[in-house]
Amino acid sequence: MEITKQQAGALAEDDSVASEFLTFTLGCEEYAIDILKVQEIRSYETPTLIANAPPFIKGVVNLRGTIVPIVDLRIKFNLGKIEYTPFTVVVILNIARRVIGVVVDSVSDVLSLTSSQIRPAPDFSGSFDTRYILGLASVEQRMLIVTDIERLMSSADMELVEAAVE
Amino acid sequence: MSIDMSQFYQVFFEESEEHLAAMESLLLALDVAHPDAEQLNAIFRAAHSIKGSAGTFGFSDLAETTHILENLLDRIRKGDLALRPEMVDACLQAGDVLHSMLDAHQGRGSVDQAAVDALCQRLRQLSDGSKAVPAVVAAIPEPAPVVTDIAASMATRTCYEIGFVPTAQAVSGVGLGNLLDELRKLGELEIVQRPLPEGSIGQWLLRLTTAAARDSFADQVDFVAESGAWYVGEAEPAAADDADFGIFADAPGAPPVEAYGFFEPLPVQKPAEEDPGYGFFEPLPAVVEAPPVAEGGDGFGFFTPLSTPSVVAEIPASEAAVGTKSLPSAANGEARQKAPPANAANDSSIRVSVEKVDQLINLVGELVITQAMLLQTSSQMLDAAPERLVTGLAQLERNTRDLQEAVMSIRMLPISFVFSRFPRVIRDLSAKLGKQVELKTMGETTELDKGLIERIADPLTHLIRNSLDHGIESPERRIAAGKSPVGTITLKAYHQGGNIVIEVGDDGAGLPRDKILAKARERGLPVSDQMSDQEVFNLIFEAGFSTAEQVTDVSGRGVGMDVVRRNIQSMGGRVEIDSMAGIGTRMTVRLPLTLAILDGMSVAVGDQIYILPLSYVLESLQPTPGEIRTLSNQARVVQVRGEYLPVLVLHEMFKLQSVWNDFTQGIMVVLDADGIRVALFVDALLGQHQVVIKSLEANYRKVPGISGATIMGDGHVALILDVSAIATMARNHLHKADAGPLRSE
Repeated sequence: MEITKQQAGALAEDDSVASEFLTFTLGCEEYAIDILKVQEIRSYETPTLIANAPPFIKGVVNLRGTIVPIVDLRIKFNLGKIEYTPFTVVVILNIARRVIGVVVDSVSDVLSLTSSQIRPAPDFSGSFDTRYILGLASVEQRMLIVTDIERLMSSADMELVEAAVE
Repeated sequence: MSIDMSQFYQVFFEESEEHLAAMESLLLALDVAHPDAEQLNAIFRAAHSIKGSAGTFGFSDLAETTHILENLLDRIRKGDLALRPEMVDACLQAGDVLHSMLDAHQGRGSVDQAAVDALCQRLRQLSDGSKAVPAVVAAIPEPAPVVTDIAASMATRTCYEIGFVPTAQAVSGVGLGNLLDELRKLGELEIVQRPLPEGSIGQWLLRLTTAAARDSFADQVDFVAESGAWYVGEAEPAAADDADFGIFADAPGAPPVEAYGFFEPLPVQKPAEEDPGYGFFEPLPAVVEAPPVAEGGDGFGFFTPLSTPSVVAEIPASEAAVGTKSLPSAANGEARQKAPPANAANDSSIRVSVEKVDQLINLVGELVITQAMLLQTSSQMLDAAPERLVTGLAQLERNTRDLQEAVMSIRMLPISFVFSRFPRVIRDLSAKLGKQVELKTMGETTELDKGLIERIADPLTHLIRNSLDHGIESPERRIAAGKSPVGTITLKAYHQGGNIVIEVGDDGAGLPRDKILAKARERGLPVSDQMSDQEVFNLIFEAGFSTAEQVTDVSGRGVGMDVVRRNIQSMGGRVEIDSMAGIGTRMTVRLPLTLAILDGMSVAVGDQIYILPLSYVLESLQPTPGEIRTLSNQARVVQVRGEYLPVLVLHEMFKLQSVWNDFTQGIMVVLDADGIRVALFVDALLGQHQVVIKSLEANYRKVPGISGATIMGDGHVALILDVSAIATMARNHLHKADAGPLRSE
């Protein structure tokens, strides 16, 4: 909670300065993540399976010589149809000095959001813990779930990091 | 302004380790009867550099011990003392102690204070010992004829002037009192001047009339005094007058030029008698120009003022003292400038972090992949590819290959880095065991990866100790066997294919086949007389196996050879033994060229490809229906030439779908995982490759049963199996496993 507050506070300090967010869809929900965490966007290629890994960890791929794990957020959050087509997109994130690929339904666009546009999310329980939500933003009738992707990916839930920081 | 010195500690540790290593190899190369002045100087410089930087970084224990060592070395190199074998031993020991101190400062292990004290005592005794032997003096060109004067003047009682400013610690503690007591024991002590009131810090001036050598008490003075703020000069008792002795600059009101320390005392005697007094320049951190009143400038020459009081400046200062000695009448500064700082003359190199080099290697790896991709694309174009493109790509291929080789060679070090420590090991051990052993090394320039160099040292040391203890016989037995009393241990390194081969050979008794077999039976190992020599010899790698008649502190406890094999296997290498009774034994270690590359066998399981490190693979076979049996309908075993091996089914462990539904359709790969043999069931063998190991943990986490990943030729990722982990997993797995989906027969 501490970090969320700090970040929210940091955003509030400078109302006029907009940050850029990448938005993507998972099923019918739209998410926004800090664009500075995004390294690149690639198309999906079949990864190499990792034995006894949870189902949402699809495996590892070779990204120009680096071994990168691929996470399917659709499986993790039970959203959308799980199918892999030539148009399936992998967002490569650069988080906590790690490179992680995330499978999403589609990438929509890049938006500038000021902190005043981001409202705190109501407290609800569900598969998606509110700890990972920085807030909700509405842009042209769309509701964006602004996600703390770094916190989400380094959490114990994702089983991506050896000793997960909580 | 304070600088955080700790950021430079790592550099200091590395440099000191290098100096210690250099010192050790020089000491070992030293011919005790006719020491080479150049070598003695090099040893001294190494010790001196350690002392200098230890002082700078505030490692006072290191600095003090090195200081005592340096005194001894200094007297040896000046010819005051004849070099004796026990001095070499003491110096080597000092090297070990310094090493342990360095380790302790880096948080590894602790220092045995008693050993340090004993060593310091020994070094002091040695350096206080007998006076110069003229024969040695003659052999050393540098210290000039004055040396004999020292010997002559030492024979009689000499009056010394001792001036110093004690540290606050020494004044408040017992240090100062002890010093005065010690000096009184040596001869008549007169306190000329002392700070008042009692217990305050200030300048002391003592006059000591004694037959003892200057060095016997100079250390103690140095110990009590503020760093560098002391001197010991020789004076004629009658002529003693404070004014003749220069001025201490510790007083706050001293003129600025003096602020660094103090002036050297002015000579009061004839030049010939002054010479012994030169020694006291050495410990000075900085020496400033003599004051104008100094008439003695012509006798001493004077030192060029040093710009900083840092200890680094000591090097030129002490070199200068030597320079002055050979030119007693020189008053010019040029004579000293020829003496370079100790490490300026070394071959030029830069220190780069391994991380940067690895990054470079990775980048080049990517370049090679891109180049291969381009080449493939152009070959698909067939005749449509423009000729200039084709030639350009061929050029690119050559260049990338050269670039890759050059970059890989940065990480490569000659194996002499490891070999150089063995003369010492052999010297110490053969003395302890009463054996005469000669070490022959071949192929020291063979290069291998830095990471391997660090990890191969321990297993090799173990093999050498083993050869020395068990292989080489005692001189009497060797003579009885008609061999030369001096045994030979041969260390040989060379490249063979994509591997580096290191052989440790001895011309000793060879491995006793009967004894090993008897011991194995005793321990209940499955052995038979029909086993080949190779199989019998491999038994010595079993844990806890030793045929030594008696356990020594060198070896014989049976721990070790199994560790050696495990270490070498973990580097992707293997060990082989050849031995002939009465002729000798040869241990052959085969290692991959770098840690980053592994010889692997690719196997298919379902639609996945896995890599098995080749060093663990013994054989592979296709089982026939009768060979696979179950134990209490749970564990499966396969019969391989009379032996029942547990079967691990990879697709069950990794929850994959095998393409086969019967064991007889797939392949059993027999693995030797740290001495445990298991049969791993896979769908098919695909081939053998050298694979580049990539970390899975960099972006993911550790996966049980997987040691890393690699990128195959088609760009896909294949995981590398961790054989020993799989064997352990299987053992746990077997306990709960049910019959499984496959038919066992």
